[in-house]
Amino acid sequence: MRQPSVISRRVAASTALLALVAGLAACGPEDTKSAAAGSGAAGEPKKGGTLTVLNSNPQQDFDPARLYTSGGGNVPSLVFRTLTTRNREDGAEGAKVVPDLATDLGTPSENATVWTYTLKEGQKYEDGTAITSADIKYGIERSFAAELSGGAPYLRDWLIGGADYQGPYKDEKGLDSIETPDDRTIVFRLNKPEGEFPYLATQTQTTPVPQAKDTGTKYEEHPVSSGPYKVVSNENDGERLVLERNPHWSAATDEERKAYPDRIDVRSGLDAAVINQRLSASQGADAAAVTTDTNLGPAELAKVGNDKKLAARVGTGHFGYTNYIAFNPKVKPFDDPKVRQAISYAIDRTSVVNAAGGSSLAEPATTFLPERDSFGHVPYDHFPAGRTGDPAKAKELLKEAGHGKGLTVTLTHSNDKDFETSPEIATAIQAALKKAGITVELQGLESNDYSDTIRSAKKEPGFFLSHWGADWPSGGPFLAPIFDGRQIVRDGANFNSGFLNDPEVNREIDEINKITDLEAAAARWGALDKKIGEQALTVPLFHPVYKRLYGEDVKNVVISDWTGVLDVSQIAVK
Amino acid sequence: MSEALLVQEAGAAPAVAPASGARSFWRRLRAQRAASAAALVVLLLVLTALAAPLLTALAGQDPNTYHPDLVDSAAGGVPIGSFGGVSGEHWLGVEPQTGRDLFARIVYGARVSLGVALVATALQIALGLVIGLAAALGSRWLDQLLGRITDINVALPVMVIALALLAIVPAAFPRPVLIALVIGGIGWSGMSKIVRAQALTLKSLDFVAAARLSGRGTWSVARRELLPSLAAPVITYAALAFPTNIIVEAALSFLGVGIKPPTPSWGQMLTEADTWYQAAPTYLLIPAGLLFVTVLALTVLGEGVRTALDPRAASRLRVGTRTGGKEESA
Repeated sequence: MRQPSVISRRVAASTALLALVAGLAACGPEDTKSAAAGSGAAGEPKKGGTLTVLNSNPQQDFDPARLYTSGGGNVPSLVFRTLTTRNREDGAEGAKVVPDLATDLGTPSENATVWTYTLKEGQKYEDGTAITSADIKYGIERSFAAELSGGAPYLRDWLIGGADYQGPYKDEKGLDSIETPDDRTIVFRLNKPEGEFPYLATQTQTTPVPQAKDTGTKYEEHPVSSGPYKVVSNENDGERLVLERNPHWSAATDEERKAYPDRIDVRSGLDAAVINQRLSASQGADAAAVTTDTNLGPAELAKVGNDKKLAARVGTGHFGYTNYIAFNPKVKPFDDPKVRQAISYAIDRTSVVNAAGGSSLAEPATTFLPERDSFGHVPYDHFPAGRTGDPAKAKELLKEAGHGKGLTVTLTHSNDKDFETSPEIATAIQAALKKAGITVELQGLESNDYSDTIRSAKKEPGFFLSHWGADWPSGGPFLAPIFDGRQIVRDGANFNSGFLNDPEVNREIDEINKITDLEAAAARWGALDKKIGEQALTVPLFHPVYKRLYGEDVKNVVISDWTGVLDVSQIAVK
Repeated sequence: MSEALLVQEAGAAPAVAPASGARSFWRRLRAQRAASAAALVVLLLVLTALAAPLLTALAGQDPNTYHPDLVDSAAGGVPIGSFGGVSGEHWLGVEPQTGRDLFARIVYGARVSLGVALVATALQIALGLVIGLAAALGSRWLDQLLGRITDINVALPVMVIALALLAIVPAAFPRPVLIALVIGGIGWSGMSKIVRAQALTLKSLDFVAAARLSGRGTWSVARRELLPSLAAPVITYAALAFPTNIIVEAALSFLGVGIKPPTPSWGQMLTEADTWYQAAPTYLLIPAGLLFVTVLALTVLGEGVRTALDPRAASRLRVGTRTGGKEESA
């Protein structure tokens, strides 16, 4: 996700500071009518009330074709039902995929290249018309239209004929690889075995869109709801989004969404400091407020830690995400595995974790896969650096590599402050490598320039900070884009930054993709991660931990290992 | 021009001439208590900046070493201990999240903050003098051209231009030098306007006319006759521009386009500290307080210098001006 520019954020931060000094004038609650009941988060969740969502990023592109989500998103999932969805449970249980519009996770056949789904009976849109399999097919097809781009690339890569399909506005015939033999059945034909298709079916692209109601790029203003809420108003391209109950949604066909509040009021474009200030004050309507995009920062955490009442209103979660150092072995001296290993040994993960916000906001990582069961995480530490690095071992390796007199390298990072690839992380690495005789020069790039540079096969630097998040909680979307040799992209965004093209790795990825038993596949992904780790193409640094405040009246907080953040579909405010 | 005025102006010129002028200048400066105190503060700051390696060695610290054990990692990295982790080793405590020594970063930061402002001010003086003198002494056409350029320069929004320039220059260019060049290169118009106006007045005076009639070239006249007389307004202006330049550097660093890590500058430290104002207030208060004291001291000193160089104001001080009493009684 793109971050707002450093300058604008800095200016915003200083304005927030000024506003605070001026007696919180600018950060007061927007609606003081619904007074706080003061009952706290305990008690049985009941229906009713208004849930306010305070966000920094607007819900732009509120069109199921354009949304890039993991598991269908948080707010989008209130309006868009999908073929499958994420299990709305706490922790590891929540990383499982469960049926949504479909009766099950799909029936694979022909070596997992054909997936067949049957829709549950009696499911309706907000206007009372029935949801059909043809609408799901149409919804997927329109995500191929150039004007509605933005989603994940998997459907284009996996569906037969997907690579050349231009969407239903240009090609009315549609995609032959999606068949709808009757109103409740949909069949997908893939160009290779994909055992993880049920995970992909959680994304909003599998949301039904009735062709008669499609308004193209304007559809996002009022998409037809299949979920418990419908869009009442959408102002300023998703800056303020108001949702109210969809009377035709039936809880009987939807086991996942609880839909307690009567109304959801999403207010975006707020500064992170203001959001956290308002949630901690929890005044008026803010008592029934949550955020779906703003974490607590280190300084805010230090403040919350001193206040027991406030600390009780912090939700903690883990999203599958890894921050790492990437090497480009085409650039000297990183072509030498000994140099890469030496850097791995020299890393001081305690300093790095502190720079990322401390042990409550980041966990040191020695594996590329996140430390969650659904990823099939297998623990390993091939180049043990201990808590604070092993400069002696690093020096020894450098000497063997012919750099006994020391080494000067350039580390590329982004200039975005308080971001995972920030100058703070880079300087922590610089300080650690100095002890091993490695002089690190820092090359900070502005955010757009940074992502263009590190994702370009031609411009890629030798040594840079990078990060990867899960499209769904499995090893597949985590390892394949980074380590599959056939996914090296010469022109365009390349994620295989180590240019690894190992036939053995490629073959194993193909083998795992054939497995439809997701748990069995996970174990194989974990083993593959351990094996790739031996090549020291990356230095895993840390996995972030999400901590988010919520208002005093918020109940039924559920945080899964899939998203790592509280699920708005479960929250009650009464 | 009346004869009396001529005498007075001519008399003013030697007042700032080297030997006796400098001595009386110091005497007049010392007579102002606030200015003397400010001068002492500035001297201390400059010495601190110059002796940064010595002072940090004395404290046994350096500005870039991480001390992860001195911060509470689970609480976001807030320094352990009171007043931001003040101890015998860390005189001003440590930085949150990194545990770097604050005292070392402050004294090294002084080097950048003062150094950048000094170079920027010198550049403003040099550009202002050259452009102002050229406008005053050159042809009418040149005066018109330089006048328009100066007007445009006055109208330029300094911060916006600086932000744009700093964003496009490659990262390899040494940052402190670049910032000094940008601040100095943009902010010379005030100086050039003063120099031009003063030079135009001086040009019509007899001693300048005499020099020109004796056949000396324009630049020789400018150097030998005009420059000494321009010293007073230039020094005064510089003394007031210097603290402004410190603020501009701090603002640029605060906006994230200034000094790059790990080099500390006070402005950069303020940026890092902006979210910590509640959890670790000393982290914000120390660089902010120092910046405030420095700018205040420099401004008071600048005002003192202006007073000491201004013969009329100096006369009111009743020191160092032999003719002071007579003028007043006249």
